[in-house]
Amino acid sequence: MLKVEGLERSYATPDGLVQAVKGVSFEIPSGSFYTLLGPSGCGKTTTLRCVAGLEQPTAGRITIDGTVVAQPDEDIFVPAYKRDIGMVFQSYAIWPHMNVLENVSYPLVVRKPRPPRDEIKDRAMEALRLVGMDALANRSATKLSGGQQQRVAFARAIVRNPKILLLDEPLSNLDAKLREQMRYELQELVARVAITTLYVTHDQSEALAMSDTIAVISEGLISQAGPPRAVYDRPANEFVAGFLGGANFLTATVTEDDGNNGLAVFDGGAGSVRVALPAGIHTGDRVNIVFRPEDAALHFAANGTGNQVHASISRLSFQGGLTECHLKVGATLVRSMLHPSVEAKVGTEAWIDLNPARCTVYPARETSRL
Amino acid sequence: MSQITLPTGAVLRARIKKANSAEKRADIGWLGWIIIALGSAAALFFILGPLIMLLTTAFRGPQDLLPFEDGAQWTLANLAAVYLDKSLYTSVLPNTLIFTAGSVTVTFVVAFILAWLVERTDLPMRNGIYTIILFPLLVPGIVLSITWIFLLAPNTGWINVIIRSFLRLGESGPLNIFSMGGMILAQGIGLVPFVFLLLSAALRSMNPSLEEASNASGASPFTTIRKVTLPVLLPGLLAPLILATLITLEQFETPLVIGFPARINVFSTRIFFELNPDTDLPAYGRAAAVALPFLICGIALLMIYNHLIRRAESFVTVTGKGFRPMRFPLGRWRIPAIAFVAVYALFGAVLPGFVLVWASLFGYALPTFDTLSTISFAGYIDLFNNPKFWLAARNTFIVAGASAIIVTSIGVILAWTILRTQLAVRWLLDFISFLSLGIPAVIAGLASMLLYLSLPIGIYGTVLVLVLAYSYRMAVSTRLTRAALMQVHAELEEASAASGAQWFTTIRRVVLPLLTPSLVASFTLLFIIGFREFTIPTILQSPDNSVLSVMMWQAFQAGKTTQAAAVGTMIVLFVIPIIFGLRRLVLARDGRD
Ligand SMILES: Nc1ncnc2c1ncn2[C@@H]1O[C@H](COP(=O)(O)OP(=O)(O)O)[C@@H](O)[C@H]1O
Ligand SMILES: [Mg+2]
Repeated sequence: MLKVEGLERSYATPDGLVQAVKGVSFEIPSGSFYTLLGPSGCGKTTTLRCVAGLEQPTAGRITIDGTVVAQPDEDIFVPAYKRDIGMVFQSYAIWPHMNVLENVSYPLVVRKPRPPRDEIKDRAMEALRLVGMDALANRSATKLSGGQQQRVAFARAIVRNPKILLLDEPLSNLDAKLREQMRYELQELVARVAITTLYVTHDQSEALAMSDTIAVISEGLISQAGPPRAVYDRPANEFVAGFLGGANFLTATVTEDDGNNGLAVFDGGAGSVRVALPAGIHTGDRVNIVFRPEDAALHFAANGTGNQVHASISRLSFQGGLTECHLKVGATLVRSMLHPSVEAKVGTEAWIDLNPARCTVYPARETSRL
Repeated sequence: MSQITLPTGAVLRARIKKANSAEKRADIGWLGWIIIALGSAAALFFILGPLIMLLTTAFRGPQDLLPFEDGAQWTLANLAAVYLDKSLYTSVLPNTLIFTAGSVTVTFVVAFILAWLVERTDLPMRNGIYTIILFPLLVPGIVLSITWIFLLAPNTGWINVIIRSFLRLGESGPLNIFSMGGMILAQGIGLVPFVFLLLSAALRSMNPSLEEASNASGASPFTTIRKVTLPVLLPGLLAPLILATLITLEQFETPLVIGFPARINVFSTRIFFELNPDTDLPAYGRAAAVALPFLICGIALLMIYNHLIRRAESFVTVTGKGFRPMRFPLGRWRIPAIAFVAVYALFGAVLPGFVLVWASLFGYALPTFDTLSTISFAGYIDLFNNPKFWLAARNTFIVAGASAIIVTSIGVILAWTILRTQLAVRWLLDFISFLSLGIPAVIAGLASMLLYLSLPIGIYGTVLVLVLAYSYRMAVSTRLTRAALMQVHAELEEASAASGAQWFTTIRRVVLPLLTPSLVASFTLLFIIGFREFTIPTILQSPDNSVLSVMMWQAFQAGKTTQAAAVGTMIVLFVIPIIFGLRRLVLARDGRD
């Protein structure tokens, strides 16, 4: 079990103090897979390295399995080598002067007291078997492909059965096809070893597919955390909505409100939708309505429900299993996914049907398009 | 590669193959073939010409004749004369070994500590220290050697005078630069900047996540250093060690300036004295015979070096570049570390510079307040009124500049031929240009002497002969340019061809502009090497082709200490503008300031 409370980390740079992590808190139950998701530079790696003990937090507290391993205000800091962790680095960090088996045995070899030779070998081979690299145990590390290095790095991280597994964008150095394959493999491996896992990535599909819990990070703070479905379906703010699955944003004004639901009329009279209003939004307020492309069904006639937006098709791009359709609502671009059997033409008018249950309302600030 | 690309990469067959896997047969036209043929022929001539001459000379006699003069014939007499002589085994050989081993140890220990402090610890003012350490790299070895005499000569050396005044000792000593210890100290300290440059590049190329992965695996910092840091760095650290051995082995300045008065002969000075005996005529054949094993040693060391560099590079390519260097906090070692750097800077850069300038203005006496009033610019006035000084200055710039241009140009042609053509000779060109690194300057000088004395083209004793003799150092420019060209994707050239450009146009408008930074670096490095050069112009000297380093040595030998110091100061002043160019180049690439 891992608990991080109010974690902060800043760096002194020539341009002044950079606050990389500004107060991150989360808790990972034993055996659970927790993902930090966010754009590059948002502080994911820094958070992970603080948990690993490779970086000293400037404030906050980190607890592994009930033991406080870092708490600057109490002057507690347990260095990485005294924490029971396994880590896969973004560059894999396979030692070039050792072969595959030596790399994987290393965490056991440096353990005090050192386990017997046979045991080290058996456990290392077992880890290699798990990642399907046992046949290459004696290969030099300088002769491995990217995917093989990734597997060796994973075997090395789990060989001593650590309490926590830390993975820093382990797939980002692979090419697209291999990345997909390794994603499934990694998912299976992690499930099999059942170690508490903290995973860092900027790739939403990895995060959605693999995690028990996702925490979306923005500028050193967690924007929203929860199970993948919940975060995807009910993004807590526009940043999360935009970052997780390209969302559509339309500005509207609330014209009716009965306390729970209200009618939002889109700018320029393009249409309206009757939706649940979050607390604090009342008649007359400006709002942003956010909905996903897959929830934007197209029709070529008005249906009279009132939950519709009038648009014109500006671009169609056939992608095999579906057609991506760009529409203009006033000056705003909206994306929708069409089944290829739907016949559409650029320049024609269309109505976007909105499912109120799948629209989310935010108070409008300046229109931010993400 | 963001690290400093050193002129001394390995012969990397695998990578060359890869770069050529596109299997392109560029249509380079007749102009292209002429350029490649000329470049290759020039490279072969500059490197192999003198060497073949040297080899044949060793087997031609009688010894005072040039190998192809009338009356010369094949003989083993030279070898016999040299290798049956006991003094070779009782003095020259052991001296060379002790001198080399001792100096390399001093160099390596000091350079390693400095490089570690600058690259891997939180030492303050690292960038400034980096520059100070590199400064002596620009000062000719002959200047440094002579400043050591100023400091440590048994009677008048400043340090001795000071020690004696404290300890109330007699007239002389206690330290004596004219000894094996003195030679080792002077040479060892003198080579520190170069080895420091190589070591710091090696330390910087290590991906810090390799160490972090060890930490995260449960290894303590000490275990990590022992099991990860040192083994990963080993090839990258041993390679400079081997190169330092090679350079020390071929050293000529220190053995001449310090070893000769102490009657300590090593291989390089032995060759020189065969050519400049006190009484006899020059013994060309014997000099060449002494040179042979020396050359073989050089090339053997070069092969070891090549092996190590290949290994080091394979290590770097697997691990990629890291970006968060892990620096060890010095803690209470901070003061000793700063003291170490300060002592090195004092003896390696500040004191030699100071004693040089002082001696040029006040003569060669220990400074006191009284001497301040004896300041005299006579040394400089004499110098500036001496046409020989201006001739030597002109020669130095011409020779350094012209040979740097020649070698850089040939280097581009070789690099392009090696990487972009399928010609069978490219292996030879690659090998030969690398080989040039293993040729000691003494041998290059000797071999050029033999060659241009024998060729009936009447250039011996001119500045031109120096330009040609200097131009064998092909390794520097070929390596640098090849590394840069490897980063230039062949498709960039193909795109130019596909746009309708002819081969030469592509080279001129696409390849050369992309290579400009490395061409400038290559030129600068070669210019500095040429500016520092002392050995070759000493061997090939005549009244017309004197250069500054030789002039300084002649003045010093003639007892004109003030003038020698003035020439030395002028050399440093000429060289200072260059340091800023180099610093900008090296540091900009390195992303330092
Ligand atoms: N050692 C450091 N020194 C200065 N700034 C740093 C350092 N490490 C990270 N940062 C800064 O902290 C921020 C977060 O970095 P990081 O955690 O690596 O982001 P991520 O992994 O999410 O891409 C970035 O703006 C980065 O520039
Ligand atoms: Mg990162």
